[in-house]
Amino acid sequence: MAANTTEPLIETKGLVKNFGSFTALNGVDLQVFPGEVHALLGDNGAGKSTLIKILSGVFKPTEGEIFVEGEKVSFTSPRDATGAGIGTVYQDLALNALTSVTRNFFLGREMTHFPGPFGILKTAEMDRIATEEMAKIGINVADPNQPVGTMSGGQRQTLAIARAIYFGAKVLILDEPTSALGQKQQMEVLKTIRKVQQFGDIAIILITHNEIHARLIADRFTFLSLGEVIGQGTSKDLEGDDIKRLMAGGAEIGDLAKELAV
Amino acid sequence: MNQSASTRKESDRLASKSWLKSLFARPEIGPIGVMLLLFGMLGYFSIPAGEFSLNPFAGEGFNALGIRNNLRVIAQLGIIALGAGLLIIAGEFDLSIGSMIGFAGACMAMVLRWGFAIVIPYISFEGGMHVEFFTLIHITDISPIGAITITMCFTLFFGWLQGYIVVRSGLPSFIVTLGGLFFLRGLTEVSLRAFNHRPDQTKGATTVTELPDIKNIIDVPGHGEMERDAAKALSEADLMAILKDVPADTIASLTERLQYTAQRVADAKTQIMAAKGVKPLERALENAIESGNTVMADTIRNKIETFVVTPTVPKEITDIDVARAYIDTIGSARPVANFFGGDILQPIFDFLYFPVDWNTNNFGNQFAPGLYSCVMIWVILALLCYVVLSRTQAGNWIYSTGGNLQAAKANGVPTDRVKISLFVFSAFCATIFATCQVFEVNTADAAKGNLKELEAIAAAVIGGIVMTGGFGTVVGIIVGAFIFGLAKEAFFYIPGIDGSFYRVFLGLVIIASALLNENIRKRIMGAL
Repeated sequence: MAANTTEPLIETKGLVKNFGSFTALNGVDLQVFPGEVHALLGDNGAGKSTLIKILSGVFKPTEGEIFVEGEKVSFTSPRDATGAGIGTVYQDLALNALTSVTRNFFLGREMTHFPGPFGILKTAEMDRIATEEMAKIGINVADPNQPVGTMSGGQRQTLAIARAIYFGAKVLILDEPTSALGQKQQMEVLKTIRKVQQFGDIAIILITHNEIHARLIADRFTFLSLGEVIGQGTSKDLEGDDIKRLMAGGAEIGDLAKELAV
Repeated sequence: MNQSASTRKESDRLASKSWLKSLFARPEIGPIGVMLLLFGMLGYFSIPAGEFSLNPFAGEGFNALGIRNNLRVIAQLGIIALGAGLLIIAGEFDLSIGSMIGFAGACMAMVLRWGFAIVIPYISFEGGMHVEFFTLIHITDISPIGAITITMCFTLFFGWLQGYIVVRSGLPSFIVTLGGLFFLRGLTEVSLRAFNHRPDQTKGATTVTELPDIKNIIDVPGHGEMERDAAKALSEADLMAILKDVPADTIASLTERLQYTAQRVADAKTQIMAAKGVKPLERALENAIESGNTVMADTIRNKIETFVVTPTVPKEITDIDVARAYIDTIGSARPVANFFGGDILQPIFDFLYFPVDWNTNNFGNQFAPGLYSCVMIWVILALLCYVVLSRTQAGNWIYSTGGNLQAAKANGVPTDRVKISLFVFSAFCATIFATCQVFEVNTADAAKGNLKELEAIAAAVIGGIVMTGGFGTVVGIIVGAFIFGLAKEAFFYIPGIDGSFYRVFLGLVIIASALLNENIRKRIMGAL
C-alpha cells in the first residue's frame, strides 16, 4: 500500500459549515494522499455529505481552507472543483440510461470536429477512448453504443469513475458507490477502486456505510460524528472493533450496549 | 462450482445481434411497417372499383396529382412535427404550435398588405383627456423577406418567452403553452378585427384575402413586373411584341409541346365522346337481353361493334398560344415568395407529361405542375434536424436534457439553453409552416392551424418519440408524419366507408405506438 509521506493531494483545515443556526461541520481537518483510498465513515447526519459537497464545490464553507496540491483554492461552482481536479461520482452517477456508453462518457464534454454546439461528433474516436478508458480500470465494454440502461450497476459505477479520471480528476470522491448494488457488483466496484488505487497518483475519498468494504480497501480512515472528526488513522493504527465503534458514533454505542444489557 | 460459469464476464451477457435482429430492434421498425401498410391501402383502394393490380402504386392516390397533394399534407405536418418532436425529446411540450401558425400567417399577411408601423399611444389633455397615437415609423410595400423577418421576430420572441417562463418557473410546459395557445389565437383574432376594419363594416374580418399572387409576379419584357395571369391576359398585340424577342429554338420547343398537348386533348375528347356514345347502347342492350328480344340485341351488338366517333381535330397552335406558354416559363421575380409558396421539380413533372405521358389527366392536359415547395423545405429541415440530433454535441445535449435532467446539469450541459432553444425552434417551424401556406394560397385566416399542435405531437408519438423525453429519432418523426398524412388520404379512398374512420384508426395507432414506445424505453432502461 502506498502509505507515502509526500504532501497531501487535498487537505482541509478547520472546515466549518453553518446552515443558519445549525452547525453541519465544526472544524474538520482532512488529508488525502495520492494513491490512497481514504474512507470517510460516519452515521447518518454526521456531516459526510456536507463535507463532500464543500469539496466538490456545491457548498461554500463558512470558515476554513481547502488546499489542492498545497495551493489554497476556493470553489464557487462544481465546475471550479472539476477544474481543480476534484471529480465527484454521485450515488445517482449522473448518467442518462437511455443513451449509449460513449454519449454518457463524453456528456457535456463531447469531442467535435469544429467548435460550438453544432460541431459534428467524432464518434469513432470517442467510442475508442471510452472503451479504452473503461478497460484500464477493468471493464470490457462489449459495445460502446449499447445504452447505459442495459449495463449492470457495477458497470455504471465504472463508467462514471472512468469518466471522472479521463477528464482530469486527481481526487476522486465516491459517494456510497457500493450501496444499492448486489453482492457480486459490489466486488466489481471494489476491484475498480483497487485498480485506480494502483495507478498511484489518484487519491480516492470513499464514503461508505459498509465497514467490511472500508477495511478491505481503505488505507486511511476518518470518522465523523455530529460534524466533528472523532477519529483518524491508517488501517494499521485501527483495530477492527475501533472501526465498528467509531462508525456508530463513538462512545454512544457503548452506552447503548449497556442500556440493551439491562 | 462450474468452472465455465466463473470465467463468464459481465460484458458477455449482452449477446451480439445479427444484422437482421438489430434491424428489428430499431425503434422505427414498427412505424415503418404501419407506413408500408398505408402505402398499400392507399394504392389498392384508390384503384377504380372492379380493377385489380398487384402494384401498390397503381391507384389514383399515386397519380401525379395524388402524389402532389398527399406529399403536401405530409410535408406540412412533417415540418411542425420536427419542432414538436425535438422539444418532446428534450422533455417539454408545445401546445401553442397551432395558434402560432395562425398568428404567424395573419401577421405576415397583414404586413404584406398594410406594411409595418410602430405606434406609441399616449394620453393627451388637449380638449379633454383622451388617448392619442403617435406613429413612430410606418413602412409600406414590404417585400416577402421583410414580412418573414418581422413575423419571425414576433414568433421567435414568443417561443423564447414560453421557454423562459417554463425554465425559470419550473411550471409544466403543458400549462405555459396552453396559455400560449389561447393567448396567441385571441391576439390573432383581435388584431385582425382591429386592422382589417373597413369603413362600411362594424367589425373587421378575421381573414386577409386581397393579397397579390406574389410568387407569380414576373418580369415581363417591355412591361415591367406584373402577375403571371395579368401578363397572359395582355392584348394580342402586346403578346406578339413579347414573342418577338424570344429565340427561335425556344419558340420551336414551345410549339412542339403545345402541339403535343393539343393532340392529347383531342384524343381525350374523342375517347370521352366514344364512351358517351356507347354507354346508352350498352344500356339498351341490357334491356333487350332482359326482355328476351334477341333480334334487337343482335342489332344493338352490331351497332356497338361498328360504333365510330369522328376523331376530334387537334386545336391549331397560334402565336398567341406560344406567347402565353412562354410567359409560363418566365421565372418568378420574387424568389423568396416562390421558395416558400411555389412549386419544385417542374422540369421533372414536365418531362413526365411530355414526352413520358404519365402526368396526364383525363382531359389530356398536364396533371400536376410539380411538387409543393413545402416538401423541399421539409426535406431540408429534416436533414438539418437529423444531423443535429444524431451527429452533433447539441444532439447529445437534447437527449440528455430529456433523458436525465439532473445528470445533464451535473455534467455541465446548459439544459436551460437547450430547452429555450427548442421552444424557439418549435415556433420557427410553426412560422415556416405559416409562411408556406401564406405564399401558396395568398390568404391568411385567424382559424388557420387549428389543432395542428395535437397533430404534430401525434405524428411524433407515432414515430416513436417517448412523451417523457430522452428517446426518439428524426427518422421516426418523418415516418410518423407519413403515417398521419397517408392515413388521412387512404381512408378517404376506401369505397363505402366514412372518411372519418381515419381518426378512429389514428387513435388506435397512437395508443399502440405509445405502448410500444414505453415498452422499448423500459427495456433500454433495464426495467424489463
